[in-house]
Amino acid sequence: MDLTYTAAEEEFRSELRSWLQANIPEEWTRSGFWEALPEDESFRLRRDWEREKALAGFAGIQWPTEFGGRGGTPGMKAICDEESVRCQAPSTVNALGLTFLAPTVMAIGTDAQRKEIIGPMLRNEVIWCQGFSEPGAGSDLAALSCKGVRDGDDFVVNGQKVWTTNAMHGDKIFAMVRTEAGSEKHRGISMLLIDMDQPGVDARPLKQMSGASEFGEVFFTDARVPATDVLGDIGDGWRTAMLLLSYERGASGIAQYTEFRRQYDEIVDVARTLGRDQDPVVRGKLARVLTDLECLRLHAMYVLTQVELGRDLGFEASMTKLIWSEAFQDLWETFDDVLGADATLDALDGVDLTPLHAQSMWSRSVTIWGGSSQVQRNITAERVLGLPR
Amino acid sequence: MFFALTEDQREFDAAVRGYLAERFDMDAVRGVVEDTAGDGNPASLWKAAADQGWLAVLVPEEHEGLGLGLVEAQVISRALGAGVAPGPWRGTVLAAEAIRLAGSDSQRAAWLPRLAAGDAIGAFTLRGSVPGTVPAVEYGGIADVVVARSGDGLALVDGVTATARGSYDGTVRLADVQAGAGSALPGATPDVVAALTARATVLVAADLVGIAREAVSRTVAYDRERKQFGVPVGSFQAIKHALADLHVNVTMAEHAALYAAHALDAGLDDAALAVAVAKAKAGDTALAAAAAMIQYHGGIGYTWEHEAHFFYKRAKRLAGQFGDADAHRVTIAALTIGA
Repeated sequence: MDLTYTAAEEEFRSELRSWLQANIPEEWTRSGFWEALPEDESFRLRRDWEREKALAGFAGIQWPTEFGGRGGTPGMKAICDEESVRCQAPSTVNALGLTFLAPTVMAIGTDAQRKEIIGPMLRNEVIWCQGFSEPGAGSDLAALSCKGVRDGDDFVVNGQKVWTTNAMHGDKIFAMVRTEAGSEKHRGISMLLIDMDQPGVDARPLKQMSGASEFGEVFFTDARVPATDVLGDIGDGWRTAMLLLSYERGASGIAQYTEFRRQYDEIVDVARTLGRDQDPVVRGKLARVLTDLECLRLHAMYVLTQVELGRDLGFEASMTKLIWSEAFQDLWETFDDVLGADATLDALDGVDLTPLHAQSMWSRSVTIWGGSSQVQRNITAERVLGLPR
Repeated sequence: MFFALTEDQREFDAAVRGYLAERFDMDAVRGVVEDTAGDGNPASLWKAAADQGWLAVLVPEEHEGLGLGLVEAQVISRALGAGVAPGPWRGTVLAAEAIRLAGSDSQRAAWLPRLAAGDAIGAFTLRGSVPGTVPAVEYGGIADVVVARSGDGLALVDGVTATARGSYDGTVRLADVQAGAGSALPGATPDVVAALTARATVLVAADLVGIAREAVSRTVAYDRERKQFGVPVGSFQAIKHALADLHVNVTMAEHAALYAAHALDAGLDDAALAVAVAKAKAGDTALAAAAAMIQYHGGIGYTWEHEAHFFYKRAKRLAGQFGDADAHRVTIAALTIGA
């Protein structure tokens, strides 16, 4: 058992921490700061800040240097995520590109794609959206109907994508499109890399139950994309997508714990302010949630250990998603227990509750996107436990 | 970062599990459960525990032990839980721990080599105090030495009188112990008693984790084969989702027991929290897994002939030992919310 990081990793931590402390304005860490900003301005601030961070050498931590990465270890990636949360750094605006697209391009992209996609993404010159879900294809992704028809050197795309993160800010979208007419299910789909800045692409915000619009809808009406802008082979998009989704097992669990634990402490602070921290039922519920958060931290250490050993966690990633999303939702349900009859008020005893309510509302989404808890349970049961389909 | 068992620790685990699978399977457990007049300590299993170092794990090398840590001890405890194995392993290990941490030089020299070799059987309890009667002590009826509370400290008692207590968990034997004052363990300060309590708690948590994992594994194996409506019942989502959730919780409980053991071995700052988390998670999970084992076997799971009840009853007993989940949540709240 060795729960420490190497000397080089700790050196990286202090270097990064110094940079973060020098480059995060104090007001950014005040409760409610980001929630109070107009969405566009919040995005622009974060986009520019993240670019500076990349130029300072704190991006693509684990990526090979040939792709503009830092060539670091999985431990450094974990440290980077953890320190970013600890210093209350703004969250990334290019998550889907950085997490999913970049490693897929590194693995199966052409040399031209590697060159054109990865560098600009790291510097936030291109913001990437993911075009997977459709109104008729949620958990059942293979039911997608967005069509691409070959026209000379291009595909002409028609259809709709939904639940598109950063739809209003995206420059490009990696989209699953049915490029073989009449094909069904997993066959005949291609992963197209579509420029969103063209007349045939219309992005609209999707107002969520929280009132925010992290997600949007993207409509394609005779949108054009060169047939060379396909990731993987034409017609082989399902395989590309499965590879792409397999990268959802970064070493970010320790950062998640750090964030959730801070939120736990915020909820406890509210309980204390309201004089509800002595209620034994509330304490019992908080303790139950804290137990699961601690287990989440240990699971993150387990995952990082396996990654460092070079083991493929495979379908265990489903379990990890299930664990963190359910724990996060449970955490915010205790907030209601703390507030009791005043659960919905904007403010109480001088405490502005709106930033906390925003998290509470957000917690309803995490068990749906990225594979719902029900889908994750199916995968865990079938692929990890080996129960029959 | 290395949060996992080492090669040596995995080999230790495989050795205990291998022995139980080959030499002390469910039929052997059943033999002990049904032999209600017996002492609950089958000679072959006790000899293996002695020969293979299961009893010597925490005893220092200078006293003829292996001098290993609680991480290794929880490996053994987990494997014994998975095998619903009877016998006074934990009581003997914990009595030795009390003597190691709080005993005088002569007490250590007198008892540690004997306990490590299986020549003496130990018992450990924190209920009641001596002189007097301490209730429902594990293997109190056959223990050569009992460590129990005495005032604020601990005493070591031999030559006790024991009265057997019936228990529906047939994988253990319990007895009320009537004891004199015994001899004090001179180093048993409140801190040392707390450390011993933490160690006992982790070993019980590990046993529960072993029960929980085995309950889930056996249920999965059965539900893959058992057919109703023409298909394996494990193909139904109602069962799949429940087993997936249990698998997740058991995995978390495994992490928690391992971490708590390491936290105590390494003296980490969050050891007290880690122990409470481990016991709360292990207790809840083992009870849920053992109940699910009965439910998802259907009618056969409710029969005496099936082994599900060994797991269920052992979990019921151990979930309450050294604090149940609610008690540990009180500790967790105190540590993270404040008094």
